[in-house]
Amino acid sequence: MSDDTFMGVPREKIPWYPTIDYSKCDFCMECDKFCPHQVYERREGEVRLVVSHPEHCVVFCRACAKTCGPDALSFPGKPETIELIKRLRAEAEGGDA
Amino acid sequence: MPERYAVLPCNGLDKAVGPLAREIALMVVEACQGELICPVLYNNLPAHYAKALELPLIVVDGCGTRCASKLATEHDLKARRKLQVAETLKELGESAGEALTPDPERLALCRRLAERLLAAPAEGATLYTEAAFAEPVEYATVTHDKFIFHIPMQGYLFNENHCWARVVGSRARVGISDYMQQELGDLTFCELPQVGAEMGQFDAVGSVESVKAVSDIISPVSGRVVAVNPAVAETPEIINEDPYVRGWVAELELRDLESDRALLLDGEAYLALVRQKAADYRP
Repeated sequence: MSDDTFMGVPREKIPWYPTIDYSKCDFCMECDKFCPHQVYERREGEVRLVVSHPEHCVVFCRACAKTCGPDALSFPGKPETIELIKRLRAEAEGGDA
Repeated sequence: MPERYAVLPCNGLDKAVGPLAREIALMVVEACQGELICPVLYNNLPAHYAKALELPLIVVDGCGTRCASKLATEHDLKARRKLQVAETLKELGESAGEALTPDPERLALCRRLAERLLAAPAEGATLYTEAAFAEPVEYATVTHDKFIFHIPMQGYLFNENHCWARVVGSRARVGISDYMQQELGDLTFCELPQVGAEMGQFDAVGSVESVKAVSDIISPVSGRVVAVNPAVAETPEIINEDPYVRGWVAELELRDLESDRALLLDGEAYLALVRQKAADYRP
């Protein structure tokens, strides 16, 4: 994947990715089967699924959460994320000038 | 009397949303004198329901596992309407509770949702004549292997989630791009937003579903939904055939286009993005 920026902002500066609530997750792996961007990774041991590539997650996409029966996935708020992107863009423009 | 439907519900009897899905399905069947499809029996003996499935289909999922939807997809059934109980309750600020036997309050909620499923979707009113949105569109193309992606160069704004807005006056129609429809493949279902709903920029203004995946339609613009396109709910293939004109999903009365525009791409910039994406394209 060559997606290293989103809306002109370095992807790693945008904290948009799923968080797994392990008290709810039943490791059915539906989210991992669904996500085409390898955000999740299966592991051996008690915690069998982790978010290993948060930077692959498509900003504003929450589609995996809709596949989650036990409702164990959460994302940051959209308005906050939009504000952050606007701020980072303004800073970058200021920096270039 | 509403149109008759076959109803395929979730059978998740072991958690609270399952029995709600069951109640909603029963209420719908009763109200339209339709046919109930038992998902367990259908899975074992589909022929049993061949006659019932000549009716248009409503699928009622309980939770995000979407067993009923998956069963429908496995058997090549196309849903006319869908409801996912857990998600809908969240939108309404309601909870399914813990009890496996719905209390009277939740039964009343089920009745509301059943009525909503059967109500003819409000199409809303398009302000402009179809002609304003049907102006001929000139496309640039990006070719990769045997794939050709079309991008309209004038009059459309895009976000990096591969959704577009076509602005005419104070309104915009929104939909998905040619790149996104090819990535998803043949669409089997398109969920429309409610007319009257207020959308923020980048909110989900509906979703599309193919055999491969389900994807939100991320609205490039903020505003109030004033009309939806019933044709794509009935025949989602229209989006595959003509994603930018006949395949529009919703029409919005714009709230703050100037502010939204700062985070959007014009045809030229979106063309560059698709070029970059096409280079790694693996359908």
